[in-house]
Amino acid sequence: MTDSVQSLERRIARLRTAVREAVLAGNRDRASALRRDLREAEQAWDAALAAAEVQAEPRPAADRPRPEAQETGTETRSPLLPLRDQVYQALSLLTVPAAPRLIATVHEAFFATTFPTTRLTSLKRDEERSFRAAPFARPYYLCAALTADLLAPARGLLAISTWPMEVRVIGSLSPRVDFLTGAIRVAEAIERLPAPVPAARRLLWRFAASIPAAADSAASTNPHQVKQAALAELAVHEQADRETRRAAARRARTQLDDVQQLFGSRMHDAAQQGQRGRGSDQK
Amino acid sequence: MTATEARLARLRGRALARPHNARTIAALASNPGCARRAIMDAAGVDKPRIAAHAGLPAPFGQSRFALARGNAFEAQLKAEGAAELLTLLRDHLQLPIPEAHYHDLNEVGGNPSPDLRHKRTGQLLTQAVASDTATGTMFDHPLLRLEVGGRHAFLEPDLIAFQLHGRFHVIEIKSFAVIDGQADADKVAAAAIQSAVYVLALRDALAAQRLPPEAVHHETILVCPENFSNRPVATSLDVRKQLTGLRRQLARIARIDDLLDQLPDGLTFDLDPDGVGVPQRDPADLVTAIRRVDARYAPECLSTCEMCFFCRDEAAGTTAALGREAREELGGVEQVQTALRLAGGTDRPAEGSDLAEAARLLRQAARLRADALGRESRRPGALGEAV
Repeated sequence: MTDSVQSLERRIARLRTAVREAVLAGNRDRASALRRDLREAEQAWDAALAAAEVQAEPRPAADRPRPEAQETGTETRSPLLPLRDQVYQALSLLTVPAAPRLIATVHEAFFATTFPTTRLTSLKRDEERSFRAAPFARPYYLCAALTADLLAPARGLLAISTWPMEVRVIGSLSPRVDFLTGAIRVAEAIERLPAPVPAARRLLWRFAASIPAAADSAASTNPHQVKQAALAELAVHEQADRETRRAAARRARTQLDDVQQLFGSRMHDAAQQGQRGRGSDQK
Repeated sequence: MTATEARLARLRGRALARPHNARTIAALASNPGCARRAIMDAAGVDKPRIAAHAGLPAPFGQSRFALARGNAFEAQLKAEGAAELLTLLRDHLQLPIPEAHYHDLNEVGGNPSPDLRHKRTGQLLTQAVASDTATGTMFDHPLLRLEVGGRHAFLEPDLIAFQLHGRFHVIEIKSFAVIDGQADADKVAAAAIQSAVYVLALRDALAAQRLPPEAVHHETILVCPENFSNRPVATSLDVRKQLTGLRRQLARIARIDDLLDQLPDGLTFDLDPDGVGVPQRDPADLVTAIRRVDARYAPECLSTCEMCFFCRDEAAGTTAALGREAREELGGVEQVQTALRLAGGTDRPAEGSDLAEAARLLRQAARLRADALGRESRRPGALGEAV
């Protein structure tokens, strides 16, 4: 059994190289034929592995090694937690919606592992698919932040589904408010650390450099001072931002269905829904 | 369809019209005398494909690495609600602390349609001006529109900043470095003219809302990396001169008829594509058609125009190919060979003619060159070989 899995893996690797060469050579017909072969081989690999799994003791699906991770060697040191849990950790530290790059940096600073930000793009899609298939089956979902004006997914921001809607809607002042809140949380987290971690201090300096009176230089950045400076600016924006967010959150709760509350309503969705709505009326 | 539009459509042939963008508008203004570029851009022809079919494709477009570097720098500045840019603007414009609003106009409700974005941009900009409290400070990638030769071109500045009870500022982010307060003059000039295009488009947009043109500051802000770091630095660019030039150019494009009248009626740049879009037109025929329209080649074209290699090939041997400065210095001498003959003394124009003065200067220059380089260069024809 393992023999056939290994030979399939070799075949998959060979086919991938061939696909790449065909694409680079501009030979589309050959590339699509090879891709078809590759898909078949991958399906055979899945089937072979499933069969092996039945024979051996049953293992949870998440542990199954994926061929691309093995080949490309992107995961030199495999993290103990799945990607979504790592993202959850970082977001829980920040307590505000954040962009993939910041999430990866925070995780690197406080949890010692990082991940390529490109993997987060597909993660949000997977979460949405999972939620649509079985709503509220998981304790939390990684979801979108919503724009306050149109309640659409805010570009490039990730949030956690268990956060109140007021945190997940983004008005025009919210990026600044969230940036300052993030700075405060990072400063607090550094104060809790027993020893200074270089990556964490670099992160703090990145925040401090964009907050008035937070720090003079990278070397002299002090978590307490950063926190005080961020709180001072936050006091200026907080009231206006809270009003916008409250109003938007109220609208979101009344206007959107469960999926849209988590993943936003897109403009073209609205148009399609209108058509679908009319269609069902006629029935 | 007016007669002019019909004429331009015939020039374009079956290809889809390519709209103007900030770069093409800026390029027009930097070489105003080039009829070839004016006609081809007005007709919206696919210049890269035409140049390629004529046998002289331009390796045009930014390098992938430069693009990636530019995008990374912009992403860094705009991360977390443009936190780094805000710090820079607070410093540069003395922006008060409460004005920290950020609007992302890259898409509207998850929809990147240009019309939608353009409409939303208009809404937000007017709202920002009309409101008594701050509602908009930074507008990320707003979409503006400018009428060029009767067609609308969409333009996308990097950022527009607005100061409450104040003015709009166009902000251009570039990834070339400012080292010790100095930057590449050509690149700054290109950035200035590109910013001027945005200022013009923004003024147009505000004029539609009955706001005066002064609502947009004539000083734009150029943001570049400082020295050898990734730290941004802001510089003000006064674009009044570029604005005047642009306005003149745009008015001239509107009078494209004058240029069209000088061309034969049946002229077209159609590539005669077959069923799958492969050009079938005889390249020699296409070259003849292109040559019917006068170009004014200058070495600067190499960085702005897709037809540059074609025009350079055509201009080979003329003094214009050596650059504007050389052409002006050489006065009335059109060909490099003529200049060399005058310098070598083989051609002696009649005393009192237009060329006599130029010939005297050239002979003088040749003598100085020979003296400076010593004996070796004095052998016959050395001057010709050196060029």
